[in-house]
Amino acid sequence: MTTVLDRPAPVAPRPARDRRRWGWALGAVALVGWALVDSGLLSGAVVNPGGAAQLGRFASAALRPELAPEFLAVVAQSTLVTVAYAVLGAGLAVLLGALGAVAVARTAWGRRRAGWLVARGLLALPRGLHEAVWGLLLLNVLGLDPWVGVLAIAIPYGAVTATVFAGILDEVPRGGHDALLAAGAGRVTAVLYGLLPLASGGLLSYAFYRLECAVRSAVVLGLVGAGGLGFQLSLSFTSLRWEQVWTTVYALAALCLAADLAGRAVRRRVADPRPRTRRDPLLTGAVLAVVALTAWAAWFLALSPAALVSSRAREQLAYVLSAAWPPATGGAFLADVLGAAVDTLLMSVLAVAFATAGAVALAGLAARPRSASLPRRAAGALVRTALLLLRAVPPPVWALVLLFVLLPGVLPGALALGVYTLGVLGRLVGEAVEEADRRPREALRAAGASPVGAWLYGTVPGLAGPVLALAFYRWEVAIRDTVLVGLLGAGGIGVLLSAATSSFDWPAVTTVLAATVVLSLCVDLAGERARAALR
Amino acid sequence: MSAGSRVAVVGASGAGKSTLLGVLDGTVTPTAGGVTVHGTDPAALRGRELRRLRARTGTVRQHLDLPGALRVVHNVNAGRLGSWSAARAAWSLVRPQGTAEVSAALARVGLADRLHERTDRLSGGQRQRVAVARLLVQRPELVLADEPASALDPALADTVLELLGDLAVRQGGALVAALHDPALALRHCDRVVGLESGRVVLDAPAASLTVAALEGFYGVHR
Repeated sequence: MTTVLDRPAPVAPRPARDRRRWGWALGAVALVGWALVDSGLLSGAVVNPGGAAQLGRFASAALRPELAPEFLAVVAQSTLVTVAYAVLGAGLAVLLGALGAVAVARTAWGRRRAGWLVARGLLALPRGLHEAVWGLLLLNVLGLDPWVGVLAIAIPYGAVTATVFAGILDEVPRGGHDALLAAGAGRVTAVLYGLLPLASGGLLSYAFYRLECAVRSAVVLGLVGAGGLGFQLSLSFTSLRWEQVWTTVYALAALCLAADLAGRAVRRRVADPRPRTRRDPLLTGAVLAVVALTAWAAWFLALSPAALVSSRAREQLAYVLSAAWPPATGGAFLADVLGAAVDTLLMSVLAVAFATAGAVALAGLAARPRSASLPRRAAGALVRTALLLLRAVPPPVWALVLLFVLLPGVLPGALALGVYTLGVLGRLVGEAVEEADRRPREALRAAGASPVGAWLYGTVPGLAGPVLALAFYRWEVAIRDTVLVGLLGAGGIGVLLSAATSSFDWPAVTTVLAATVVLSLCVDLAGERARAALR
Repeated sequence: MSAGSRVAVVGASGAGKSTLLGVLDGTVTPTAGGVTVHGTDPAALRGRELRRLRARTGTVRQHLDLPGALRVVHNVNAGRLGSWSAARAAWSLVRPQGTAEVSAALARVGLADRLHERTDRLSGGQRQRVAVARLLVQRPELVLADEPASALDPALADTVLELLGDLAVRQGGALVAALHDPALALRHCDRVVGLESGRVVLDAPAASLTVAALEGFYGVHR
């Protein structure tokens, strides 16, 4: 006993891990500072006071949306178009993802690590380009065909799905699979009987999550011309019909909410299956409904497989590919690309910093309390509805709204992206708060700590890790969305891309696309390293 | 309970030991009856006054309640939150305050070299000792301990109970410990209270009891 008490106190070293964290924290602060300076927020006029009246008219129209029957019919038709694109895009993505997963799963490559790395690297190209960029490229090959919208969703989503599906397959316990192989079964049989049954829940759950995301992507594609609610939104916006804009926004919010709720119901059931029923009616119904929807969507959009292999499409593809090589490498042009890439990076940093700060500030209200007074419940419902509206409206539309009161430049683009990301992050952080362990905080309160002290020492430590991980994940998404906002004029690399495609300067397009892919790869890598440092 | 007394609360699981400790630190409001702690009834206090009373009471719980992502130094410093302003508490997370006292407290529980370690990297027994170090810097007058020795080996269990008893006596207060081990109860406490289904069924000086008698008490109820 005395040995414990009398041992001289050794000096406690500060772990190296601490220094690394400080390094990341200082780096992040410096990056946000640079982004603020770059946005012009600190140096000059960014506000356009003349637009306040227009913003007021826009905001007041929220309470009196256009409800004329003819317009409602148009909105209903547009909703169907958006749903059709989303369902077909997501369906095809899951199909492509399933095939791709076989190609990139570690299981398939075994110890041939080089082959696995190459296969994985190949997926970075389709993944690194935003759906709208794919839309723009496909438009030049297929012309105005519904396939453009479907493939623009299916190609990037397929690549992401392949990576995630491969991850799920690789993490499933392998005992059954290995036993089948040892018993002389073929590789395909072993996967079908030994791996798939175990992985099916995770795969189904992710497929439905993709469907939810596809609804938002279909709206964005509408903005760049594919039709549907996004197209309607941009039409109403450019003709300054704010009442119509709000009707469309409400339709969008309702559609997103329906997709969220349906997707979440399916995913919850997969995570927590009903015992002792042979076939779950909810899951069976959901799968059948999606199959039926897919068939309807193909009919509704009048998709014809022949369009994909028509001689015109083939000629156009061959022309674009040959014109796009070699990429443009002029010194001045490369400097432009580099400058635009830095702008894009800083825009995404500003957006995520804004969204994270906002999400943390609102999380307490957004979380559903276990027991609370009526005013607290009402405030929570209000915040959650506001967050839903923020994420239902695509970032380019937010940029247009912000341009009422902000001068054009990096700032409106960054804020637009920030507002949208706040809608997503606010919900995720709110959910993290709901799941947080309350006991440490209650124990500190019992020892006389003030509410702030107990929150700092009891709640924040458990939340900081998950919140930062979510913020980094959204940063990886935001960098792709920044390209989209730029595509519609808000600055950064998207502006260069839009200029190059509209002037059919294919070598320049190749260079810009390569820069985009490299940029998102760098952000993915930085996010991964930062998350590892935080663990 | 007089100043300087050390009371062991014994009883089978579900007998009401944790509830009794909760009533004493004011986290559980009794449906009937009441207690008087430091001359007042915790259930009758609100806000700042309740906080002040609670800061004079220190608790080591069954569920350790230490955030794992926090470093040991911060978890120990959390014992002082009752007397710190919010600004000082926040600043201490950036630049830990009073590390000398924290180090001394950690040295007394044999964890001097773990000052900057993340708490979730420690074993269950080590975390239990961090919770004790937190009490050492809080310096409460009334120490409530819920199974403080459950994750410790016998030698450490003795050390920890001695520290807790010392702390309470030195501050002119008292120790109330819910214990499962009769031998520990008799070695470190001068009074033993036995609970059964929420009622006191035994209240005797430790000197009048034997380990065998207490084991009999457990044997019936365990």
